[in-house]
Amino acid sequence: MTRFILKRIGLGLITLWLLSVLVFFLANVLPGNVARRVLGPFASPEAVAQLNHQLGTDKPLITQYLNQMKGYLSGDMGTSVSTKQPISDVLWPALGHSAKLALLAFIIVVPLSIFGGVVAALHEGSTRDRIITVGGLSATAVPDFVWAVVLLIVFSLGLGIFPSTAAWPDGSGPLTQIKYLLLPAFCLVFVLFGYIARMARAGTIESLDADYTRTAVIKGLPQRTVLWRHVLRNSLLPTIAVIATQVGYLMGGLVVIELIFNYQGIGQMIFRAATQKDFPALEAAVLVVGVVFLVSTLIADVLYSILNPRVRLGSADQ
Amino acid sequence: MSRKDTQRQVDAIRSRSSELENHLIDEYRSGYISRREFVRRGGVIGMSIPVVGFLAAACGTGSNTSTSSGGSADTAVKAGGKEVAVKPGGTLKLGMSPGPTTEIDPILVADEGGLSVMSQSGEFLSWSDSKLQLQPRLAESWKPNSDGSEWTFKIRQGVKFHDGTPMTAEDVASSINALSDPKSGSNALSTFAGVLSKDSAKATDASTVVFSLDSPNGNFPYMLSSDNYNSVIVPKDLSGKWEKTFPGTGPWKLEKYTPNSGVSFVPNKDYWDKTRVPKLDRQQVKFYPKEQAQILGLQSGDVDVLVHFSPTGGKALLNDPNVTVIELRASVHREIHMRNDKKPFDDKRVRQAMGLVVDRAALVNGLMAGKADFGNDSPFAPVFPSTDKSVAQRKQDLEKAKALMQQAGVSNASVTIDTWDGFEMPDLAQLLQNDAAKIGLKLTPNVTPATTYYGDAVFGKSPWLDSTMGITDYGHRGVPNVFLAAQLSSKGVWNAAHFKNPTYDGLFKDYVSALDLGAQRAAAAKIQNLLLDETPNLYTYFYYFLTGTKKNVGNVEVSAMGHYDITKAGFTSAA
Repeated sequence: MTRFILKRIGLGLITLWLLSVLVFFLANVLPGNVARRVLGPFASPEAVAQLNHQLGTDKPLITQYLNQMKGYLSGDMGTSVSTKQPISDVLWPALGHSAKLALLAFIIVVPLSIFGGVVAALHEGSTRDRIITVGGLSATAVPDFVWAVVLLIVFSLGLGIFPSTAAWPDGSGPLTQIKYLLLPAFCLVFVLFGYIARMARAGTIESLDADYTRTAVIKGLPQRTVLWRHVLRNSLLPTIAVIATQVGYLMGGLVVIELIFNYQGIGQMIFRAATQKDFPALEAAVLVVGVVFLVSTLIADVLYSILNPRVRLGSADQ
Repeated sequence: MSRKDTQRQVDAIRSRSSELENHLIDEYRSGYISRREFVRRGGVIGMSIPVVGFLAAACGTGSNTSTSSGGSADTAVKAGGKEVAVKPGGTLKLGMSPGPTTEIDPILVADEGGLSVMSQSGEFLSWSDSKLQLQPRLAESWKPNSDGSEWTFKIRQGVKFHDGTPMTAEDVASSINALSDPKSGSNALSTFAGVLSKDSAKATDASTVVFSLDSPNGNFPYMLSSDNYNSVIVPKDLSGKWEKTFPGTGPWKLEKYTPNSGVSFVPNKDYWDKTRVPKLDRQQVKFYPKEQAQILGLQSGDVDVLVHFSPTGGKALLNDPNVTVIELRASVHREIHMRNDKKPFDDKRVRQAMGLVVDRAALVNGLMAGKADFGNDSPFAPVFPSTDKSVAQRKQDLEKAKALMQQAGVSNASVTIDTWDGFEMPDLAQLLQNDAAKIGLKLTPNVTPATTYYGDAVFGKSPWLDSTMGITDYGHRGVPNVFLAAQLSSKGVWNAAHFKNPTYDGLFKDYVSALDLGAQRAAAAKIQNLLLDETPNLYTYFYYFLTGTKKNVGNVEVSAMGHYDITKAGFTSAA
């Protein structure tokens, strides 16, 4: 098991390094230069050259890259070129915000979609099944930003129940924060429900048909025990993998949702950094999202291997 | 007061007045300029407000409207209304999109969010109000010498910075000198180019600052007003980042600033002008990265005021019964350049044909929802008092346009029109494409991100400055000088049309050095006619600066530059 985890971490670190190289060089091949972007099109060429020098963006790319990596290794995320603030001052709160939204969405969507998937599987082919699968699929097919607009129009502008922003006022307690986060969280719930519910349904149907389930039923175990001990434990394996891979999406891919709800999460930070050519901030944010993605995948792998020894053994054999 | 007494008093004032001031009084007396224009110009050349007020009543015809050759300087199309009674106290929440995009540094600030926020705690020598009149602030008064090449400003005494240190003439001189120093990389360098050089501001005593200009300039006080938003007065020994404490003398003191998120201010109870100590307890500004989010914010009640929204993005607010929209005339425009040295636009008949084929009515009423003034292919927007409005407006004339194309021998030419994916510019490119097709000119829009379009922003390294045709966004200026210099003069740094015309350069010089409005307008008329003939660029509309407030908010004042003044604002009892 240790070897399995170490191997995963090693691969993860290589992935992160490749990611850092890719982001750094791709960002730098984009046209336009950093100081020009910061100072605006109407600044004098002298001012632009001076700022580029000050920021170190006139140095060779390799030097810039190495300097940045050196900073990361010593725990210094660098300074934003647009706001001149330490990046860590913005990055960690943004990550915290994204985590709060992701957590709330998960708390709602995971039990809801697994319950939906299992109910659909238990009544395969029935109207209930159709409603859950077709409804879930339709909800997933609608992009998150469309849900955002629909929910805003109905619950914020129309009924006035929820605020139109996710940015709660300073000093708000947990309940107020949840109130501000509910609309964006529900956008994510709609997008994820169909996906997770289908996985749960497929897994459950497969387990229901499995030999061990038939044996359990034949030997006279109560239906509840069969379901909890035999069906669900096996059927939820792929579902866990799917949920874990969504963490990365929730923790960095919510650019549009965060923009619509004016939420200071990491998606908005990436958007801003990219549009302002704030490379140090972009690089740091993308890497942190990469780390979150890798850690969540690692946790999923470990969980999966605990639940299913075949994975662990198969991987160790390689 | 009898007529005789009045006349005696007028004579007394005139005997004490400079040649320039007497000239202005004559212009007003003869009916050449309106009362409003008289008041505005009087302010610019430093006449005191009571004197101007007295003369306006004593010498005028009583008319508040413009003469045939001139126009009203009032920029408000639909103002927020008269001052209303508001309840003291409360927190006013304002929305701003996108808010300051970079560090707020008075020397470098170039974005609307930055300047809006900066002018809450920072103050200028004077405030250019919504009627383009200069209201004295940190300067009590100002006077030019006889040719306008030297201006003397009297600095208000007894004013303190937020930390309690007194504001002095030295602070004023050092703040302005920092802006005119090329090494500072100041954003105001383009405004000061050819006007004010490094170290030209000198504090001659505790309350006097003298500015020695590179050449005479009749509009100089505007360059030290809120119109030149970098010119906030900061402590001379300011060390470290301005953004940490927002040091200034203004009516609002910084409470908390979180970049990219928001800022809050509390009233400065020690403010020098007791009539402008804020009535509110606090103002909280929220930054929205996208305009749509701030529109929703106002509609759903998350904010009470939107400092600025665009006619295209905020159409939903224009007819919203719960929102008061304040509209100000502005000089915001899209310059459509045509390379005067490249085919097919090297023939001015082709450029004229382009000017004649554009359906301006469709642009103003359709694209801009009616919230714009017509452009007449020069940067002289209707908002500028110096614009000669008697110059005939260019209108769509397909027959004439076709004839011009035929005379030029151009048929089936194709040109790429470059622009970037901001505001309504991609739509504008498409509308121009449709119009141009009517005269056999095939335009292909090439819409890129802003960074690509502007490139390095120098000739040879920028699609903006190198392309055959392009659309560029320009923000508001209180006077047209920067547009005239940078976009059109032979050495202009933003001369994307590569327009090089010695006659124009001469006229531009005349315009800048003209001290009185009559001379300015006469030079403007010549420039306007020359540009209509040459048509180096198209200027099709100048759109309004729109501000939205909830119905229960009163007394919000804005300037088309993006400044807002809510010192008198508050909540009315109407919900």
